[in-house]
Amino acid sequence: MTRDEFLAEMQEVLQTDAELTADTVLADLDEWDSLSIMATMAFLDKHFGIKMKLADFRVLSTLGDIMDKAGL
Amino acid sequence: MSKSKFSHVKIRGVKTSLPEHYIDVDDELKYFGGNQKKLDRQKKMIGYGRRYLADAQTTVTDLAVDAAEKLLSEISVRSEDIESLVFVNQSPDYVAPADACIAHGRLGLSQNIPCLSINLGCSGYVYALWNAHALIESGAVGNCLVLAGDLPTHTITQDNRKSAPVFGDAASATFLVRTEEECRSAFVLGTDGKGWDKLIMPFGGMRLPYDKDTFNYSATDALGNVWTPNQSMMKGEDVFAFTMEVAPKLITDTLVTAGWSNDDVSLFAIHQANKQILEMIVNKAGIPLEKTPIDVFSKYANNSTNSVVTVLCDQADKPIDKAVLATFGIGLSWAGAALNLSGMHNGGIATYRPPANRPTREQQIEHWLKYYKGE
Repeated sequence: MTRDEFLAEMQEVLQTDAELTADTVLADLDEWDSLSIMATMAFLDKHFGIKMKLADFRVLSTLGDIMDKAGL
Repeated sequence: MSKSKFSHVKIRGVKTSLPEHYIDVDDELKYFGGNQKKLDRQKKMIGYGRRYLADAQTTVTDLAVDAAEKLLSEISVRSEDIESLVFVNQSPDYVAPADACIAHGRLGLSQNIPCLSINLGCSGYVYALWNAHALIESGAVGNCLVLAGDLPTHTITQDNRKSAPVFGDAASATFLVRTEEECRSAFVLGTDGKGWDKLIMPFGGMRLPYDKDTFNYSATDALGNVWTPNQSMMKGEDVFAFTMEVAPKLITDTLVTAGWSNDDVSLFAIHQANKQILEMIVNKAGIPLEKTPIDVFSKYANNSTNSVVTVLCDQADKPIDKAVLATFGIGLSWAGAALNLSGMHNGGIATYRPPANRPTREQQIEHWLKYYKGE
């Protein structure tokens, strides 16, 4: 999965119409709530085998940070 | 985890009763700030749909007794032939006596039988089934009527959006009997009491009884939900972490204990926490989604103690052979069961019609004041 593909997938995962980039600040997204965090966890686990806990997301500030976690 | 197997107990029949009144999340736009997109997003992600709510005069015993009367009639079992009763719920009619005794009287059961109540929530139905299996297999009794259910909507307010759209009320009756022919089942059970406060009703017990000042207190959370001391609460993040750690492993442990593979199973009835969590459990446990109903949450919400029974009863028109039940929640507590259900009467889901002229709150208070006075 490329970084562009990841961003496109994340629109579906978060159920958002907002345009997403690597610099998108998670806290600035209206849809960045506990639902989105859980959906992102499931997504990372399913596609990258990465197990994250809810607390792990507190130190991530942008979508780029999540892509770094995914090794993209 | 505790593992046990039984070989001569089977479930003869099961039936769920729901209250008449329901709320559809589509009619609750006001709670989403009038934002249809926000509502649709939560419907899609969490699976919000319909939930049934018992009115203020209906108790879990009313629903469970209704389910029992209907079930016993459908499978032609006379009340005097019942040899034991186990009732599991967490919203009892009274602090004491036990609902099991109240239900015993209402159903007109024999005086020569044991009746007991179990205080467990989401994991409780499987615990009650396990208890009934052990009672029957040991030879202590020949059959057992298991009543299960809860009124989670009575311990939250509908304005409190953290919990309200998630929960709905339901109760059920299940009748288990000893069989001469072999009928194998397996159970896996566990507890983490260090997590006792992760799902809790802090007030109203003997540790912190209701008193004159109790309702002077309230707290408002970051989302603006107002919490009063008659509400149950859940530490969502912790319960989610617990669920993801315990539930998938519980399912695989139950399969291994029974010696079954996914192919052997016709139904996985998983506690309907919510759609998103169910999907994550299914993925992590590696069980087939086509055998695992997750839409029951959207049709009836999370029914707490009755949740997996609601899943079973929702499948009334489909044959169920081998089923795996997996439950987890308040306690913290979890329980899985591998059951052979072929030939079981599935009474499906009925609606409880309350009798006319039920005593109002005021009439009940008047009654008990006279009772205290000795009139």
